[in-house]
Amino acid sequence: VNQSTRHTNSVVGFSSRKSFSLGGGSKVLEKSVFDEDDNDVTPQPLYQADPGAVQAKASRFFVDEISAGSASEQTTATGSFTMPFSRSVLGSSRISSQSTIESTNEEIEDTFTKQDIPINFPGLVEYLVHDTNSISLLPEFLDKIQNMYESNLLVLLQDKEKNNQYAEVCRNRMGNDKYVDRSMQTLNGAAKNKHVQTDSMAMVDTATTVTTWDMYDTLRGPEQDNTVHNPEPEKVEYPEAVMDTNRGAERSVSVGTSSLKEEVFGSSVNAESDLQLIMLSENFQQCLLVMERNILRNTFQPKLAAYRQLPVLEDLGSPVKSQALERLWAFSCELSRGCSVSSMAWNKRNPDLLAVGYGEFDSSTQRAGLVCCWSLKNPTWPERVFHCDSAVTSLDFSANNPSQLAVGMHDGSIAIYNVHSQDNKSPVISSSECPNKHLGPVWQLRWTQQELSITGDEKVEALFSVSADGRISKWFVFNNGLDCIDLMKLKRIHNAKKKAGGNNTEKKSESVLSALTPGLCFDFHPTDSSLYLVGTWEGFIHKCSCSNSQQFLETFRKHFCPVNCIAWCPLSPDVFLSCSSDWTIQLWKQDRLNPVLGFTSTQMAVYDIKWSPKWATVFGAINEGQLEIWDLNSSILDPVAVQPAAPGVKMKSLLFATQTDCVLVGDSDGQVTVYQLKNFSVGESSQVKLWNRQPCRWFR
Amino acid sequence: MAEVEETLKRIEAHKGVIGTIVVNAEGIPIRTNLDNSTAVQYAGLLRHLTMLARSTVRDIDPQNDLIVLRIRTKKYEIMVAPENGFLLIVIQNPCE
Repeated sequence: VNQSTRHTNSVVGFSSRKSFSLGGGSKVLEKSVFDEDDNDVTPQPLYQADPGAVQAKASRFFVDEISAGSASEQTTATGSFTMPFSRSVLGSSRISSQSTIESTNEEIEDTFTKQDIPINFPGLVEYLVHDTNSISLLPEFLDKIQNMYESNLLVLLQDKEKNNQYAEVCRNRMGNDKYVDRSMQTLNGAAKNKHVQTDSMAMVDTATTVTTWDMYDTLRGPEQDNTVHNPEPEKVEYPEAVMDTNRGAERSVSVGTSSLKEEVFGSSVNAESDLQLIMLSENFQQCLLVMERNILRNTFQPKLAAYRQLPVLEDLGSPVKSQALERLWAFSCELSRGCSVSSMAWNKRNPDLLAVGYGEFDSSTQRAGLVCCWSLKNPTWPERVFHCDSAVTSLDFSANNPSQLAVGMHDGSIAIYNVHSQDNKSPVISSSECPNKHLGPVWQLRWTQQELSITGDEKVEALFSVSADGRISKWFVFNNGLDCIDLMKLKRIHNAKKKAGGNNTEKKSESVLSALTPGLCFDFHPTDSSLYLVGTWEGFIHKCSCSNSQQFLETFRKHFCPVNCIAWCPLSPDVFLSCSSDWTIQLWKQDRLNPVLGFTSTQMAVYDIKWSPKWATVFGAINEGQLEIWDLNSSILDPVAVQPAAPGVKMKSLLFATQTDCVLVGDSDGQVTVYQLKNFSVGESSQVKLWNRQPCRWFR
Repeated sequence: MAEVEETLKRIEAHKGVIGTIVVNAEGIPIRTNLDNSTAVQYAGLLRHLTMLARSTVRDIDPQNDLIVLRIRTKKYEIMVAPENGFLLIVIQNPCE
């Protein structure tokens, strides 16, 4: 028994197991005795246990060399072995309390306390020390963690120590009795070959490029094509809205990746039928439309840009500061050539859409009328064309239903067209069957919003018309047609001088002649929609109210020829203009019976007059030969800008553009020319000053 | 049908338009007012470019789609409008 108390007291444990299981805290009760050299001189038991039996003990080492108190907790090997084989590595070296401390220990669960555990060969002795009492303190997690930490430290130190000891062993190996060479033999199994056969796997290379839209299309599935072109039906911006795309959709197959590659458009390979199919599809029409607009934009781009008031590079040579009119372009096409323009109206929702009514009503021959809806994007061809039975005399777009266009005609009938869809060529409603329809040409139509509806959401809009039979009527839809109620009958009023004498005779003659005088124009007050002005053939202007259908509120007399147009000023309250065939334009204020100002520039009948929507003192007037723009702020005697008509052409109709500084003039040749007002920059506050200034001069 | 024909004629008659080509799904020009070889060349070359442009637009936002592709060159401008199954090509010289 090679046992040296010194050497083998050490508890050597070289465990390959690095994990520590802390089964429970256990107190070490056995003490070790050290002499002053720190040699372990613990008395050894006389009986040595069987080498095959290892008493596994659970123990815990505290690597706490600093605290002296740890001495009580040091464990010592109660049994020590010297194995006949070598490599009790640490046994040879110094035995110190440190080594005992640094020896590995393993804590074994309580279950192992009394069992014999086989020794771990190869070569290193494992001493397991355990205590008799094992107290498992399960809730002491903190302790466990600390123990783990400390045992990790312990491992570190032990490893270091082991390294040192191993180096020592290697040095001492030569010629040392402790070390004996021994050989081992392992059993080599016989090798056996076995063949295995499998089916050959076919390898196929596939590649595909995935794009975002591809995945989107696959997810959407085949219904994507049906819905991809659905616009909102209320948009009037594209009145040529794509209606039914199903026809086009069912011909195209879009399945995942193949949506672009194979578009099976019909099953025929024949080019001719392909052409037919393509031509009939809605998409193609849309394409054509877009393309046409693009082409036109190329041509008209500078003019359209000027219209939109994009900054235009001016020629450096002409710093013109005066107010002038510049011609931009003209809406005209073969259909409208030769027809005289009678009225124009902007769409209320889409300010790029213009409706123009054509009709020759001066001459005795009744030609069929025409209504064209032009878009700014295409000045060469109208978006919609409606042929009417008789000459068109007036037009207006509805505000509540922006796609409804009311057309008044020379024969007295009123028709409402829907400009939204392209197929609809006939009026939605017409008043031709109405028994109360006008007997004379409808000179002016207006949609006006009256009182609030019951729900209060939108104002009730009604269509008003004034016609040559002397009636002002309010129209509503009744029984699939239009019906009207008369708002006012324009009774003939005689001149005040004549009325002074001979009342009886006048009354008699009144009953013989028609008591109504043709009304030529009217206008509703911009804020108070129950108040309106009517201009008559006699030259009188009557102020009427919708609530009073018997009497005029007031009569303004100045003109002695038919009043062709009346316009309330949109920016200044209670001011209106009237123009007449007596070559004059009169400016009135609502509370004065006599006009405040009168304008005459040429000796021609003034056909149309309109206020500028932007500047309070600017208005435009056309007479037969020229377009005049007046600016009351600059001059009340002369127009500030004059544009003569093309030779042989008479100007007929005037319209200001609502959002830009442009003015549209329709003439007797069927052209609507757009002019831009340049260098007009009048402030709006000047209107107020004008009234303070002028009346003292012109008051009569 | 007649309207479409009329519109197409109108386009062809516009100021500066050199030619129009309608190409079917297989890339064959089915209606054109240019000579056949030029039309075939335009059709073949522009087809791929249009597909690529369309793929680009839709890659960025699959709900978007290409409406018109305009290529402004030194001499003139080529406008291509792709649709499901055909291509409409117009060559215009705006002659400014």
